[in-house]
Amino acid sequence: MILTVRIAINGIGVVGGFGCGVEDLRRRLQAADLADGARVSEKGDLFPGILGFCAGTTRLGSFVPKRALRRLDHFVRMAVLGGYLAIEDAGFPIDGSEKVGVVVATGYGAAQATFSFLDTVIDDGDACASPTFFASSVHNAAAAYISLLTRAAGPTITVSQFEMSIPAGLLTASRLLEEKKADIVLCGGVDEICPVLGYCWNRFFPVTQRVAIRPLELNRQSAVPGEGAAFFLLSRAGSESPKYGMITGIALGKLGKGEGSVPLNTGMPFFLGLDGKESCSRLYASHIPEGTRVAAYAQNYGSLPVGPAFDMAVAAISLKDGRVYGVPQDAGDHPPWHIIREEQPLGASSVCCVKFDCHGNFGIITLTR
Amino acid sequence: MAALLGEGVHPAPPRRFTTAHPIAYPVFEIPESIPLRGSSQEPGVMRTAQLALTALEEALLNAGWAATELADFNVGVCMGTTVGCTLNSEEFYREFRSGSQPDMAPVIRFLNSNPSQVIARSLEVTGPCQTVVNACSSGTDAIGIGASWIRAGLCDIVIAGGADELCRVTYNGFISLMITDDKACRPFDRRRKGLNLGEGAAVLLLESEKLVRHRKSPTQAILLGYGSAGDAHHLTAPDPQGRGLKRAIFSALEENHMLAGDIAFINAHGTGTPDNDRVESKVLHELFPGVPFYSTKGCTGHTLGAAGAIEAAFTIASLKTGVIPPSAGFEERDPELPAHPVEQKSTVPGRVALSQSLAFGGSNAVLIFGKE
Repeated sequence: MILTVRIAINGIGVVGGFGCGVEDLRRRLQAADLADGARVSEKGDLFPGILGFCAGTTRLGSFVPKRALRRLDHFVRMAVLGGYLAIEDAGFPIDGSEKVGVVVATGYGAAQATFSFLDTVIDDGDACASPTFFASSVHNAAAAYISLLTRAAGPTITVSQFEMSIPAGLLTASRLLEEKKADIVLCGGVDEICPVLGYCWNRFFPVTQRVAIRPLELNRQSAVPGEGAAFFLLSRAGSESPKYGMITGIALGKLGKGEGSVPLNTGMPFFLGLDGKESCSRLYASHIPEGTRVAAYAQNYGSLPVGPAFDMAVAAISLKDGRVYGVPQDAGDHPPWHIIREEQPLGASSVCCVKFDCHGNFGIITLTR
Repeated sequence: MAALLGEGVHPAPPRRFTTAHPIAYPVFEIPESIPLRGSSQEPGVMRTAQLALTALEEALLNAGWAATELADFNVGVCMGTTVGCTLNSEEFYREFRSGSQPDMAPVIRFLNSNPSQVIARSLEVTGPCQTVVNACSSGTDAIGIGASWIRAGLCDIVIAGGADELCRVTYNGFISLMITDDKACRPFDRRRKGLNLGEGAAVLLLESEKLVRHRKSPTQAILLGYGSAGDAHHLTAPDPQGRGLKRAIFSALEENHMLAGDIAFINAHGTGTPDNDRVESKVLHELFPGVPFYSTKGCTGHTLGAAGAIEAAFTIASLKTGVIPPSAGFEERDPELPAHPVEQKSTVPGRVALSQSLAFGGSNAVLIFGKE
């Protein structure tokens, strides 16, 4: 079932392997090539044989005093930077408001903080476990710091649902707004790369060479891990036209035993959450109708549980620009679909972002200008 | 409830794991004599998920639903947890650090154990599925969020609650924060030193008004309000003025145009940490003067992501019987606290009660229940 909503997107904050901010992401989309994992990775040497789309957070220094920054680990820094960028992009202050909520979605949470905590237990013994790492390992640490630093004192919620974390978080944000528990919600996703993730990646997706994600090669494993944060400053839509359009539909569910169908509106481009994971590709082929105009952009930010937040950011930028960005030829092909190869006019007032995981769960987010 | 109203239960040093602490901090573990239903249904999932499945079975039985009947409805699942969404296998990580190639079984178990997904999978339901990881208010938030799905028309039924297991990571972590009592915890007591950890799960089966109208048996309670607000103050300490908690309470009251005077009794978060109990006592004194309140954590321990759900169930049970338990572990009034919990099992008139949770990260969440 699609939940029909009218949620305005007022600002976007993104940080990832492509850079920092909407302009960096737009430039990457305009380049329309396969981002080379080696080129964008800053932490590739952490995991032999694995390259990642890693995020830099140096811009956070322009928002947060140095003294406060010292306490923030990489996971929190990405989230806080994403949040501040979204606020800056929206151009209106939220400081100190009791009606500003924070909703953070994360697939794996503050994983590295948990392992850093375990390091102190293993190295120094149970009695010397680090309280700092323990406090930072709590999944809602990122939301807490966003709330603390921006003084957003409305509802502060963190959700974790692997690949479905973003549609789940948006569903919660939309309910907070629709039920007037909040007037503004800073909603987004964050996930980080860490050495353990690199090891798991190697074990689950053993390939000898990995350079670029080819999302539309449905029968090939080409996923490259990514990290980053993508945040949106949301409010109930009023009479004015929001900067990036509106979220008009959210669906979150699971295919039944006989698979059935997913609640898709047609007549608009579909941005697919394909990210090079072969095991998840089958459901896209089964459920996205033939002839649909489709695009996939994970080659720009990598494969990460909160990838749908980046897909949604691309959709919002496309709506604002009135243009849809091309997917390079070497990203793969699936002939039944009409793949958008060149940058072109959007030709529709809505965009639908679709994500399937390999267990049949789906999340669908419709954005409308 | 029998334990709350009777002689209570007492914490003991952990049995399922060992630690090298010089003091054996007591915990509330689920006795091995209680079988976890999930262990046979889903042997490959974490204990947290097994606890959730065990509570689910009881909730279905209590609500009079057969699992197979749910397929005819739009059913969502919204559960809270902390440990249940964390990859924290110490054994796996020790091997990884040593440079060997650890077996992936613990990782696969983690990936299969998201509590909401485990429940959805076991019931074969296809509605929205979400796990809330809001630290100690997760269970409360999950119930509030689940109810909003029903109001939005997304679901006829939402299975909502919380689950969390005890493990070495949380045990060592809370001791490192120096907020763990080395004896049985004493919420609101003058000598309180901190919390005891616990484990458990609770599941509420939330039904739409339309379904309730067609019920043959009465409901357990009506969820009248949910409020949530952040302190925006500190990562681990509550706002000393309780501003976030007050806003969460007002937000919950507002939902059905209720007043503080409508509340008959309050299930406080009452962890037994000096800071938490000080803030709660202050807020309860200011907003609900004279309204009886209690903590149940002296009987359950702090079950983290499950606590709000377990305490919601206790609140409903007390509403039904009109009897509230004495605040477990409380003996001596703290002269620095403006309000004190109930010391005896008490009969309370009234049809509306409130349960509140405070969490790491400054999250505050409140549920208000009424009886028909």
